[in-house]
Amino acid sequence: MRAGILGVGNLLTGDDGVGVHVIKELKERYRFPDSVRLIDGGTMGLDLLPFLEDIERLIIIDAVDLKKPPGTIKLIDGDSIPAILGSKISVHQIGLSDLFFAIRMKGLPLKEICLIGIQPGSLETGTELSEEIKMQFDTLISHIIDRLRGWGIEITRRR
Amino acid sequence: MRAVENALNITIPDNARLIRNLITGIQYVQDHVIHFYHLHALDWVDIVSALKADPKKTSSLAQSISDWPKSSTEYFKGVQNKLKAFVERGQLGPFANAYWGHPAYKLPPEANLMAVAHYLEALDWQRDVIKMQALLGAKNPHAQTYIVGGMSIPIDPNSQNALNAGSIAFMTGLAEKALEFVKKVYIPDLLAVASFYKEWAGYGGGVGNFLAYGEFPNDNVSNTENLWLPRGIILNKDLSKVHKVDHEKITEYVTHSWYEYSDGNKTSKHPWDGETNYRYTGPQPPYEYLDTDGKYSWLKAPRYDDKPMEVGPLARMLVAYASGHKRVKEVIDSVLQKLGVGPSALFSTLGRVAARGVETLVTAEQIPVWLGQLAENMKKGDLRIHSREGWDPSEWPKEARGYGFHEAPRGALGHWLSIEGRRIKNYQCVVPSTWNGSPRDAKDQRGPYEAALIGTPVADPEQPVEILRTVHSFDPCMACAVHVLDPEGREVTRIKVI
Repeated sequence: MRAGILGVGNLLTGDDGVGVHVIKELKERYRFPDSVRLIDGGTMGLDLLPFLEDIERLIIIDAVDLKKPPGTIKLIDGDSIPAILGSKISVHQIGLSDLFFAIRMKGLPLKEICLIGIQPGSLETGTELSEEIKMQFDTLISHIIDRLRGWGIEITRRR
Repeated sequence: MRAVENALNITIPDNARLIRNLITGIQYVQDHVIHFYHLHALDWVDIVSALKADPKKTSSLAQSISDWPKSSTEYFKGVQNKLKAFVERGQLGPFANAYWGHPAYKLPPEANLMAVAHYLEALDWQRDVIKMQALLGAKNPHAQTYIVGGMSIPIDPNSQNALNAGSIAFMTGLAEKALEFVKKVYIPDLLAVASFYKEWAGYGGGVGNFLAYGEFPNDNVSNTENLWLPRGIILNKDLSKVHKVDHEKITEYVTHSWYEYSDGNKTSKHPWDGETNYRYTGPQPPYEYLDTDGKYSWLKAPRYDDKPMEVGPLARMLVAYASGHKRVKEVIDSVLQKLGVGPSALFSTLGRVAARGVETLVTAEQIPVWLGQLAENMKKGDLRIHSREGWDPSEWPKEARGYGFHEAPRGALGHWLSIEGRRIKNYQCVVPSTWNGSPRDAKDQRGPYEAALIGTPVADPEQPVEILRTVHSFDPCMACAVHVLDPEGREVTRIKVI
């Protein structure tokens, strides 16, 4: 079983890049077994397909407009995600929705998706996350670890 | 890179020239195919209609236009079944806001099904094409191997960690596969789709002036006469004359842009004297009204000799065609002949789509040529990839100015910079989507998008797919596209270009 953790976003527009920040942090803090692939998706869409071809379970981290206070985290599971992304809640819906169409049409093995969305605070130009997101950063990471553990995947802290 | 190299008078080695040509060439081929199938196709192809297609007839259609092997009845039946499952799961989500069933869609169900199959095949195709980018540029689209004076990837026939005969042979194989898909899938599809939309050769013409900086130096980049795709300007759709490009004639207005110039609203500035002081005076959210009499855009308005210019594949192909580029002329003439239209049809939305295809084909043919030249150099023992000129800042003049021209997939890109006391004092970029998406200038002249939309018929103002056809034909900077929902839940599509 192969699992993937996909962080998407634009590092240059503040909290929009939260998914990418998370991937970087995960790599620094933890060791992952070979069965887990960490993917810095940046602002790519369909170009990510080759990285997902053998993935069965996928966690996506993204800034999502939940209409809640900045830093609010929501876990969304299952088939509703492509539709959610399609209904333009996520700021990266264009690339990702095409991606899910292609995954289904190509009959790839992906069977379980979990979207961990966080309400962005600021999308202004800049490479720093806002305070509200920074405060929630560890919670965000613990959600990922919990989900991996639920899938029977243990990771270890570096040092 | 070219702007700095120009300012410091640095000449890059031949191998660096070839690798830059290759990276840009591969980018054209990949970008254009992806643009056609994954961004532009949905303006012409009705995916849902593909469910009604007869797979057997689809197979006949595919076989009648190409000898591409994936064309059996079973193959198209398989694609259709997957599409059916997708639609039945209610997962058309990603495309839910598209315009299925719109009367402006003209393709028969079989052509739609063929296009859906090729949409998917293009995905597999591109994963091979990007391997070439990975080898030469490390990352795509922002290649990481460029440095002032050359490239940072070593060439060494005796090293596994450098470009060697093996990696060149590998890329040559990929380039052949890339070309085969372009020849046997993309071009036939383009012609098939175009034949159902010939009226679009009459819409979307635009400003009628075209600017190409030219690209792919055949020798030293400063020899602007010897570019594989030539430099030049076409004015007023007149293909009998190609005008020379003088960079001094390029200026930018901010009359209708959210910037301020120190000497007022009506002047235009050459990029060397350029100023970028933003001052947003537009509406505050919720955005309801944009006053186009005042400032209304984040784009400046670039002008050449005070005229608006279209840039991009159509501009490049027209300049090459009018300059007598042998291969470009052959391919354009054959496309025009197959569609039964004359050269004037090129000045249109359809012309823009066709020019992108023509450019893809001629560029895909040229990639193996550059790879061959690189292999030749290596054989001769020429492994130089970087010029050491100007590497030490103490050698730089106290003051220097330079400019660099490049043809990005979307069109003419120019950078201007001035260096003072070994530091960059001013850096200005005039990018393709600024030319094409330009707002009006002090003389109230329209930019290419705006001019191109005049006279476009719109069957249903709530679903303006016809507008998208023309805007997408320019290939606007899509990474910056923003979709928003209005309070009724209807989608309003806005194209924001940077």
